[in-house]
Amino acid sequence: MSGPQLFEPKVVGFLCNWCAYAGADKAGASQLPVPHNLVTVRLMCTGRMDPQFVVKAFAEGADGVLILGCHPGDCHYKEQNYRAIQRHRLFLRMLDQLGIERERCRMDFVGAAEGEKFVRVATETVDIIRRLGPLNKLGGPIG
Amino acid sequence: MRTGVYFCHCGGIITELLDSGALGRGAITAGAAYFKEVELACSEEGRGWIAADLRLELPDRVVIAACSPREHEETFRKVMAEAGLNPFLAQLVNIREHAAWVTEGAGAATEKALHQIKGAIARVAEQEPLERQVIEVSTDTLVVGGGPAGLKAALTLAEAGRKVVLIEKAPILGGMPLRYEEVFPSMECGPCLLEPFIAGALHGPFSENIEVMLTSEVVGVKGSFGNFEVKIRKNPRFVDLSLCVGCAACIEACPARAPNPLNNGMGERRAMDFVFFGGLPNAPYLDQVACTRFAGGDGCRACLDACPVEGAVVLEDQPKALEVAVGAIILAVGAETYDASLLHALGYGTIPGVVTALEMERMFASNGPTQGMPELPDGSTPGRIAFIHCAGSLDEAHKPYCSGICCMDAFKLSHLASHKIENVQSAHYHRTLVMPGKTEAALYRKVAERARFIHFDGPGVLSVSKSPAGKPHVVLPGGAAEYDMVVLMTPLTPSPSVAELAAIADVPADQLGFFEELHGRVDATSTRKRGIFIAGTCQGPMDLAQAMNQGLAAAGSALASLVPGRKVELPAEYAVVDAQRCSGCRACVGVCPYGAVSFDASSDAAVVNPALCVACGTCVAACPASAIRGRNFTDEQLFAEIRGVLS
Repeated sequence: MSGPQLFEPKVVGFLCNWCAYAGADKAGASQLPVPHNLVTVRLMCTGRMDPQFVVKAFAEGADGVLILGCHPGDCHYKEQNYRAIQRHRLFLRMLDQLGIERERCRMDFVGAAEGEKFVRVATETVDIIRRLGPLNKLGGPIG
Repeated sequence: MRTGVYFCHCGGIITELLDSGALGRGAITAGAAYFKEVELACSEEGRGWIAADLRLELPDRVVIAACSPREHEETFRKVMAEAGLNPFLAQLVNIREHAAWVTEGAGAATEKALHQIKGAIARVAEQEPLERQVIEVSTDTLVVGGGPAGLKAALTLAEAGRKVVLIEKAPILGGMPLRYEEVFPSMECGPCLLEPFIAGALHGPFSENIEVMLTSEVVGVKGSFGNFEVKIRKNPRFVDLSLCVGCAACIEACPARAPNPLNNGMGERRAMDFVFFGGLPNAPYLDQVACTRFAGGDGCRACLDACPVEGAVVLEDQPKALEVAVGAIILAVGAETYDASLLHALGYGTIPGVVTALEMERMFASNGPTQGMPELPDGSTPGRIAFIHCAGSLDEAHKPYCSGICCMDAFKLSHLASHKIENVQSAHYHRTLVMPGKTEAALYRKVAERARFIHFDGPGVLSVSKSPAGKPHVVLPGGAAEYDMVVLMTPLTPSPSVAELAAIADVPADQLGFFEELHGRVDATSTRKRGIFIAGTCQGPMDLAQAMNQGLAAAGSALASLVPGRKVELPAEYAVVDAQRCSGCRACVGVCPYGAVSFDASSDAAVVNPALCVACGTCVAACPASAIRGRNFTDEQLFAEIRGVLS
């Protein structure tokens, strides 16, 4: 017997090298379960995070994006995650105008030792986007 | 384009979780030319096998599907180089921590790993060969500040054979501890502790490696790591150090008097005088402001006439502009103590008998204004002394931090008082007591045997008023007590030189006005600016021991970063501006905390200095014209990776 087929979203995680990627590595070393729906892209810093990357991910079929950096104050590059936070806030307003739910582009902070937090944030994000359903509700081409 | 994929079994722990056959088929479908499996890629055998296979296959691009690039990116770049391929044409994709170990079910794990591999195959196609730029550097170092940290740094570098330029604003070397005849916790003499370092810099076995410039300051810094050009102004001393024999004949002849800065203005010095007798180098200096020739224009030349060595007194001495070329700079410009007259409730400057810790220090010094015995304004010896701890520290209205050294300094002064003044009664008013370290608490225990300790809460609770007898009266909500002398334990505060040098050398100061360290816990002597280091109390309040250690640490960093005969290899990953596309908006300049991006007026475009760029990519993302390329993290590479992981 099987229940109704649940929608399985695609989520791209953009992880900074020093904290978030290391946190994800920690989750890996601890063999904690991470949703299979999340694929990762490594950046040296969330300061490199260009809003175009989110748009590109959506255009290529992602239903959600997760941007993970160092905790505010802990940035390997002094303060560049603050630049990423600023850009993310502006970008959320643009998503509003496009009629895309803000939850599809989440920014959070994961320290190098926070394997469990990485798993929690990843799981939460995938769950939220699963509930939101596909980004492309009409099924036609995007972009 | 031929892309080869190497799949690492990680000794079997990846293959038992992933279906390598499915991965191989998926990689070929995604455009890989071949997919090969290796038992343990990072082992010596594995690396050798891959290098040999690369030489055979000669792929244009390489993907290694294995573990975290945080651990092994550099390992496989070396394998690429060994095979004669450009290291930046490979991409390590982490299918272990990010897929195999974290995904439930072999099917799902394989699928996820394949997405990551497809991302790498797409990305690597956009990757380009990169070269690491190699620059010639100077290994000479400029040390600014001749106090404990600067001396330790200069001597360490000189001992290692490095050329050092040591500049000091004052006419003698030694810095702040010269004023402390006793240093906690062991009551050693400050000038005596420093003497071997000062003499070492001036005349020691490695002194030929140290060029000492006194009465000098930095006025300009250009260039970057490995190649700084520093402009120095040498202020006139009016005494030629190469000729003066330190006989003091000029001092005896000098008719002008001025308050003595060594003693916080207590006592006098002559316009031509030693800083203090015994200071090194052993030569006087002329204070232009106090001299009647310069300030009064009376044509006095008593010092010149008295001098037995022709040419040693130079009344026509002028400021000199000098320039030095160095590879690294160590800033060790020290600190001051907080201005007690700003503590309005504590009576400094208005109530006789209220003094600062530094003034008390000088009164205890045998070469101080009272020859070692504290005196009240009426010349009597204080019998009742109160020490007010945290006078201006842990106080948002003054200095929010704990200066860390004042409690120990108070115990020391209290201990000295009990030795020098018969039947002295001492009281310590404190909010908290700080005495970290393995030897420090012993001094406190000694003091606590006979001094009273009175606790008070918070800043603003305690005040000092004038008693009817004209004496200082320490007032707390619970009561008041009269004393002969009240000593304010004021915190260390940044020297004004910090703000000046921060502007000149473009090194940031923190919110408190100290130099901002790269990281307070793990790298407190580096700054954001590569090649510029900080040491001692210009980084934060600290005692002599810590300042010495920081001097040593900064010298160590300078030694490690610049090695004779070794050219400096700059990271291949840095940002590059396309001047044609740059609109000159300078958004990039503002977002770089490392001073790596600047605006070049001649080309009307931003430029990135690869020697300073740390490749965070923030300017790349900030550029509205997409005129900046983040090498090895370009838009094209990241777009391709995004497309790949989602395909």
